[in-house]
Amino acid sequence: MPKQPGGLFNRLSSQLAVVNRVPAPVVAKVGPFLASLKVGPPEIQSALAGLFSPQAGEATTPFIKMIAKWVVNARNAAGLGKKVILVPFNFPTELIHAFESAEPLTSEVLSTLAASCLVGQGEQYWGMAMAMGMPDHLCSANTIELGSMLGCRDFHPQAVISSAPGGCDVNAKMHEFVAHHLDIPHFFLQKPPDDTGRGREQYTVYLKSLIKNLEVFLGEELREDKLRSVLEKANRCTELHYELFDLQKAVPCPVPNIFSLFLYGTRFTMWGTDEGIKTLEAMVKVSKRRLAEKAYPAAKEVARCVWAYTSYYWDFCGFFNWMEEQGYSHLGDGLDLYFPSPVDTSSMDSMIDGLAGAAWNMPMTRQVGAESMSRAWTEDMIFAAKNLKADCVIYCGHHSCKQTWSVVSILRSELEKRLGIPLLVLQGDSWIKRMTPISVLQQEIDEFVKNVVLNKSAPKRSIKKRRQRKWEAEAPSVVPHE
Amino acid sequence: MSTYNPMEEITKEAAVLENSYVKKWKDSGGSVVGYTCVATPVEIMEAAGVLPYRVRALGAPDTEVADAHLSRFNCSFCRSCLQLGLTGAYDFLDGMIETNGCDHLRGMMENWNYAKGFSFFHYLKVPHIVDEDSIPFFEEDLRLYKKAVEDRFGKAVTDDDLWERIRAQDRIRDNLRKVYELREQANPAITGAEALTIFLLATAVPTGDLELLLQKIIEARKDHAFRSVRARLLLGGAATDEIDFVKEIESLGALVVTDTLCFGARAFWSRGPGRSDGDPIKVLAGTTLGQLLCPRMFGDFKSRERFLFEAVKRARVDGVVLVHNKFCDVHGVENVALRLSLEKAGIPVLQLEKEYGARADLGRMRTRFQAFMERIDQRDA
Repeated sequence: MPKQPGGLFNRLSSQLAVVNRVPAPVVAKVGPFLASLKVGPPEIQSALAGLFSPQAGEATTPFIKMIAKWVVNARNAAGLGKKVILVPFNFPTELIHAFESAEPLTSEVLSTLAASCLVGQGEQYWGMAMAMGMPDHLCSANTIELGSMLGCRDFHPQAVISSAPGGCDVNAKMHEFVAHHLDIPHFFLQKPPDDTGRGREQYTVYLKSLIKNLEVFLGEELREDKLRSVLEKANRCTELHYELFDLQKAVPCPVPNIFSLFLYGTRFTMWGTDEGIKTLEAMVKVSKRRLAEKAYPAAKEVARCVWAYTSYYWDFCGFFNWMEEQGYSHLGDGLDLYFPSPVDTSSMDSMIDGLAGAAWNMPMTRQVGAESMSRAWTEDMIFAAKNLKADCVIYCGHHSCKQTWSVVSILRSELEKRLGIPLLVLQGDSWIKRMTPISVLQQEIDEFVKNVVLNKSAPKRSIKKRRQRKWEAEAPSVVPHE
Repeated sequence: MSTYNPMEEITKEAAVLENSYVKKWKDSGGSVVGYTCVATPVEIMEAAGVLPYRVRALGAPDTEVADAHLSRFNCSFCRSCLQLGLTGAYDFLDGMIETNGCDHLRGMMENWNYAKGFSFFHYLKVPHIVDEDSIPFFEEDLRLYKKAVEDRFGKAVTDDDLWERIRAQDRIRDNLRKVYELREQANPAITGAEALTIFLLATAVPTGDLELLLQKIIEARKDHAFRSVRARLLLGGAATDEIDFVKEIESLGALVVTDTLCFGARAFWSRGPGRSDGDPIKVLAGTTLGQLLCPRMFGDFKSRERFLFEAVKRARVDGVVLVHNKFCDVHGVENVALRLSLEKAGIPVLQLEKEYGARADLGRMRTRFQAFMERIDQRDA
């Protein structure tokens, strides 16, 4: 009988438990050394090379330590009498951090960690979901992690919160399936597709009900002082988020490409914690230093690219580092577009309302969960592209993302009309490498930048002159043949 | 002497988008408004003197114009509907009511609206969960929908108007249940393909005409009986208006004796008459949302599972076929959960993923059906 593979969470948490125990200065020294050795499975080499790229500097260690602590907290939760609540990436985890007796785990972050840090990546867990008869058009972002829960002996959360109804069918359905299959409680925060004040008020009503349900489930009342403490830290994260956004505006971009991932990695896990603040402070510090030094990984910045939705997470080196080596700045992607606002911490009501605002503005909820998914997404992309002085937008074409796929033609048309910048539509799975190899994606990006983006910045060619040149080339020579 | 056959008339009328009833309605100055989802209470449109028309694709497989807008990662049913919309087949519509049925439907509507536009457009926002918070929100949304229709078509809708339409729809649902009884009985009197044809026409004709048609078909078929059926099947799953697809299943000797489709039982079976007095909008909010047996709803899988098992038992089916169109996530995942439940209960089940309207897919489907039928045969043996 073939040996059953270890569960995704169990494998990850065993590795990260070691990282959690190792002091930060040791991680900072050993990490780059391991990356420089270039030994071991290629996927691990790529992850190490991406995470410990020289440009990421001292931000990598707090990021890795933060993620390790987040995973270990969940691993140790039961022993401490706490419950682990599985959430999707569009849920503000600061709410769970505000409960003493709960720890949040985010499905998509676990899938991303598997795609980047585990030998064999996430494919085997995806395969487990497929083996149950799941359709192959599901989203690997959550199906990898959930496939592990369904298909092998792995850690199980004590409850699931779904904040995807209204924002993403596939995400919501997969979480529903897992909650049903594992027979664990399932809580909801649905998004009304109504951009008026009425929709926003209703969302607060839904959030209040969710909090009530969580209080009953956890047997713990959400304490005002604890919530305030978490949200004050979340407010500090917000400040740092905007500092980074401002730094990204500089030309050449001083913010390393992989910081896009670090930024939302923090948002989806430890926003509102000391570890989150520490990571963001380190990212700002590195970026400021690079700005002062006018540091850039390539000889010059060739193209400034905003990514329209997700990036690719199964080859950090082949994606983030490669872009930098070509002079292509990754100015963040759709998951960085959550526009946090400082929360008024003066009262319980103002804090709940602020939390509702944070949830309302989470990526995906804010864009494709809006009344018009094309309009909200387009407005955010135009804002980002304009403010970050982007030369182009690239859509990764994660095949499961039906909402963005269904309106990407509108986004392309509006970007062209309103900003005059092109959109490249790629096709590839963000979490699974076998759909489109990195070499193909690199080639497509390269050709797009060289043939479309750079040509666009050249002076416009006159059709008249072009025709003239063509006629001259085709015209018979006036010199008679000898 | 030729005998009038109501099924012939229904078949002829259901085969075209703009049927003769719609034409007559338009010729007499009436307006027709499209909708896409069973969560749209048609009573409100009817009370404003508007003919509600459920958008369908009638198996049209071409999508080349739609594909310039939607992508090939979107469900082919929606791409087919968009194709018809953008190429003018739906130009007889005087407006559209959008609902957030699923991500593909939303994308279809956004592109239709962006590329061509509607002379009247209203977005009815349907919650995904039924609870004490969402019902009042939906109730308010129904009032906005009513106001939008009143403003556009210039008729103030009174409570009496609404009650009249609610009662008329209750009668239609009663008649549709009688049609289903005829197909579910021991010796079925109506095939699955015929039942789907009847249902399709039922969402595209005025209620008065429909009531007469349904009564005629019930009368004509009451003593009819199909015998020697190889297997009695239930068809469940995604939006399927493909009559040819059902005919293909039935061409192998099986009979689709009931369904849990949204172009079918899911749209009317559970919606019994609610209260018959008080605020009609409140009643519509409760019955529409509270009895919406669609996988786009959350926290309610048990109700949908129960609905399926009740149909299996009621129609004494030998097997269940669960279909979804490629890229349909809500049914794709739901069908796995339902399949596991059916398997646990020992009921033969075939889970199929297909492309909408693609004749090229029929050969593969046929092989799968044949294998499934053999499974059922062996079980019976």
